[in-house]
Amino acid sequence: MGKRVAIVGIGYSTFRTTSQDVNYREMIFDAAFKCYEDAGVKHPREIDAFVATSEDFMEGVSIADEYVPDQLGAATRPVESITGDGIQGLAAALMQVQTGQLNLVAASSFSKASNVIDYYNVVSYACDPTYIRPLKEHPYFIAGLEMMKYLHGTGTTKEQCAKVAVKNKENALDNPNAAYGSLVSVEDVLNSPMRFDPLGLLDTCGDIDGAIVLLLASEEKARELNKEPIWINGIGWGTDTPNLDSRINFGAEAQYAKLAGQKAYKMAGIKSPKNEIDFAEVDDTFTYKELQHLEALDICAPGDAGKLLEQGAFSSKGTFPVNVSGGSLGMGYSHEANGTQKVMEIVLQLRGEAGKRQLDGVKTGLAFAWRGIPTATGAAVILSKDK
Amino acid sequence: MAFRERIEKNTGNIFRSSEEGKYFPVVSRYTAGVAGQKFLEEIKENEKIFGTRCSKCEITFVPAKLYCERCFARMEKEHWVDVGTRGTLYSYTVAYEEKDGSPKETPSIIGAIKLGDGLLFHWIKESSADDLEIGMEVDAVFKPKGERRGSLVDIDYFKPKK
Ligand SMILES: [Zn+2]
Repeated sequence: MGKRVAIVGIGYSTFRTTSQDVNYREMIFDAAFKCYEDAGVKHPREIDAFVATSEDFMEGVSIADEYVPDQLGAATRPVESITGDGIQGLAAALMQVQTGQLNLVAASSFSKASNVIDYYNVVSYACDPTYIRPLKEHPYFIAGLEMMKYLHGTGTTKEQCAKVAVKNKENALDNPNAAYGSLVSVEDVLNSPMRFDPLGLLDTCGDIDGAIVLLLASEEKARELNKEPIWINGIGWGTDTPNLDSRINFGAEAQYAKLAGQKAYKMAGIKSPKNEIDFAEVDDTFTYKELQHLEALDICAPGDAGKLLEQGAFSSKGTFPVNVSGGSLGMGYSHEANGTQKVMEIVLQLRGEAGKRQLDGVKTGLAFAWRGIPTATGAAVILSKDK
Repeated sequence: MAFRERIEKNTGNIFRSSEEGKYFPVVSRYTAGVAGQKFLEEIKENEKIFGTRCSKCEITFVPAKLYCERCFARMEKEHWVDVGTRGTLYSYTVAYEEKDGSPKETPSIIGAIKLGDGLLFHWIKESSADDLEIGMEVDAVFKPKGERRGSLVDIDYFKPKK
């Protein structure tokens, strides 16, 4: 176990389905400004280093890491870029603080999905050029194959998956940062236009624009600053092979989530996740993914997530609330900021700043994000506040 | 209405990714590789599907690979295995959308077909989705020899075993 590191500041831009007025660097500037203010840091000069998560094709420029510094107040300062999920960026920032050389490190992530005109081409370009791309199909067929295999292998039903969308979209109604809150019925989800059978339109997320900046501090520094420290107890990430043909139990289970969870639990000293964690924000890029990820993260046994969901266990008033923020189905999918969006909810809940959706007495939360089709990468983080 | 006008007004100001128009002006070349070359040639020339077997891990990789992902062993000539052209249906989906998200005139069925211990991703034809079952046997249908170009789609599609 390394040195203790805390999240001491959080800032975020407004989350919108489109943002024609601001560019992504202005959005990050907005989030960074609020983050530093939140922590009580007067100027970014007080921050030792900066980590940005970004992906060239989503920014529309190549060598996008060059476009990182200014919006964070980091020009001429130490900057590192991570092409990955925001939680992977958070891990990089955490390790920088754990070196003992740095006391304050900022981590940014964002989505400007509304500027990505041909997103399907970005995802398609991520697929294997020899064995997947020659089919010239929409790459979400991979999600259709996965969902079919998952339902078949676990006995989970389409109705149970539909209930994930019902729950998360309803949760989102209590979240002012959520763009896709609505009251939908199981029938609405099941009758929504079929995309990649059994995956229907309401099993999938809409996109969202927004930026999130987090500030991490060493224990000593955290005690000096404004906010109650939210400790990073464990963090882990995992990647199965990129080859769809040789992944372990392709579709039937989420190996990357198992790997990420196991590492994060080990670092946090957690033996029984469902008993030692109070609530979770778990990737729900597709409805079936929330259930599959909960099983892989050992919150319940394989095949049990759908049943527990139906019994209300994962509702905001249940024994283990999942995606009380609305998740990606309710908030919108924020691409590289997917994991950070989940971290943001955990931080707000632990601080008691979650407004109408505030959970009672929560002390430890789990955030987990998947890097999306066609990847097999996931990242998990355990956060807690002082007891 | 005002909202819509605002969007349209600003949309015209979006800079496209190249001066020529909407296309990213970079074209890539892809190398199938030592294993990929032989794998695709066997399909093209001989209507055969080959995998490579790691005897230590007891895994037959399809498509064939040069190295074992699990134990990092190099797989040489003697590791090549003809896995036949009949596989089992590992999973399937019906795609109702074209690559760009527009509705398909005729939805296509895409299968994950288990051959050896690997998977090929390909179309399933000569069957309706209702008649498909995970675990059923499917056969590769090859394009006529003259139309084969050394690509995955030299296999035209898979169809349920008759
Ligand atoms: Zn091996």
